[in-house]
Amino acid sequence: MGIGKKIMTWARIKSPWILHFNSGSCNGCDIEIVAALTPRFDVERFGVIIRGTPRHADVLVCSGPVTRQIRDRLKRIYDQMPSPKFVVAVGTCACTGGVFDGCYNVLGGIDSVIPVSAYIPGCPVNPEAIIDGVVKLVGSLEEGKSA
Amino acid sequence: MAQILFHIFIFPGILFLLVMSFLIEFIDRKLHARLQNRVGPPWFQPLADFIKLLGKEVVITDEADVTIFRVMPLVALTAAVTAFFYIPLWGTEAIYSFNGDLIVVLYLLTLPTLSFFLGGWYSRSVYSAIGATRALTQLFAYEVPLLLSVLASALLAGTWSLSELTRFYDAHPGWWLFNLVGFVVALIALLGKLEKVPFDIPEAETEIVAGYLTEYSGSLYAFIRLALNVEMIVGSALLAAVFFPWGLSCGPLAGFAFFILKLLVIMALITLLRSALARLRIDQMIQFCWKYVSTLAFAQVIATLIFKGVFVK
Ligand code: SF4
Repeated sequence: MGIGKKIMTWARIKSPWILHFNSGSCNGCDIEIVAALTPRFDVERFGVIIRGTPRHADVLVCSGPVTRQIRDRLKRIYDQMPSPKFVVAVGTCACTGGVFDGCYNVLGGIDSVIPVSAYIPGCPVNPEAIIDGVVKLVGSLEEGKSA
Repeated sequence: MAQILFHIFIFPGILFLLVMSFLIEFIDRKLHARLQNRVGPPWFQPLADFIKLLGKEVVITDEADVTIFRVMPLVALTAAVTAFFYIPLWGTEAIYSFNGDLIVVLYLLTLPTLSFFLGGWYSRSVYSAIGATRALTQLFAYEVPLLLSVLASALLAGTWSLSELTRFYDAHPGWWLFNLVGFVVALIALLGKLEKVPFDIPEAETEIVAGYLTEYSGSLYAFIRLALNVEMIVGSALLAAVFFPWGLSCGPLAGFAFFILKLLVIMALITLLRSALARLRIDQMIQFCWKYVSTLAFAQVIATLIFKGVFVK
């Protein structure tokens, strides 16, 4: 890695801005994601800020299985994000479809529509697990595995 | 020539303002976090954000006007940096000064808002359009009180030049106390100018995504953030120069230290207000600014005129 690339990787690791997207979750995981953003967990320590617009975000945090209704929107939000971008699937449903797998209106996990970089299982996920997942994703960036 | 280039690029130009803006953003965010009982970001956070944004893809929508969309962040940054040259930093003399530079500084500080409006408007997103019109509506509410309060201080000194104004207050110690009401008005107006809570209506992220910034990404967004930070520094520096013009004649080093101290105090006040208050609606903001803040500013101007008429001959 050249020095320029090293600095860039360092900057990316230190400032993952996230966008939260509910792709059909039962809302359990959403509450936990919001809980992870409260002052108690203080994710700004790691440079994490939640943004309102996909244009500013680096990490798309998805919760819930992908429903047929939401598929196009999810794809569109993903396309609107400027690269490099990453997707984190939060919750068992987001990983595999979970308890909703096989429903007539459910396509499956997030990775049935867009590429996913990190899976965080749990029903619902702990805020600690979410933070751990994002930190692990960022750590894998450092080793140059996904980029 | 070399000196001019040094002024523009190193001190007190782009490089100094870049470092200052990172520092100021860090202090702002850290203090905000501490007020919320959080640990807050590490010291290099603004730098990391800036570098990361520079390395991101710049998305420009098909419908956007590419030239305006690309140029406006730089116009805003240039205007804010230029305004800084007219503000006395370490002595009673700014690097460049002429009679009327106070008006020029205020004008240059208006330019970022206008360029953000244009950039947001021509990105052709609905959210950007709403944010942009709100930014312009807000401009009409805070610009008048800001001008009036600065005018009151300038009236007392009887000059339109920032350097002469500081010289006047240096020769008449204690007179700056007379403008304290004006300072409160200017601080409120500055909150509106910088779009800080409670006046962050143009970029209210819980209602209109990110206002006029919605479509900006990558390096363009990085420059907008930088422009906003520089605007914050220049705005605070202007307030420091106009309302706290003391301690400037005790040598460049002590003067500069005093300047930084005043800047930090004003910044801390802004952060305190933004942590303690919640966002107003646009109509509430306009009402508040015209009904109370402008009235206060007028009262300050009239008091200054009477004071000048009676005591200063
Ligand atoms: S993982 Fe559990 S809590 Fe999360 S969306 Fe699925 S069912 Fe709800």
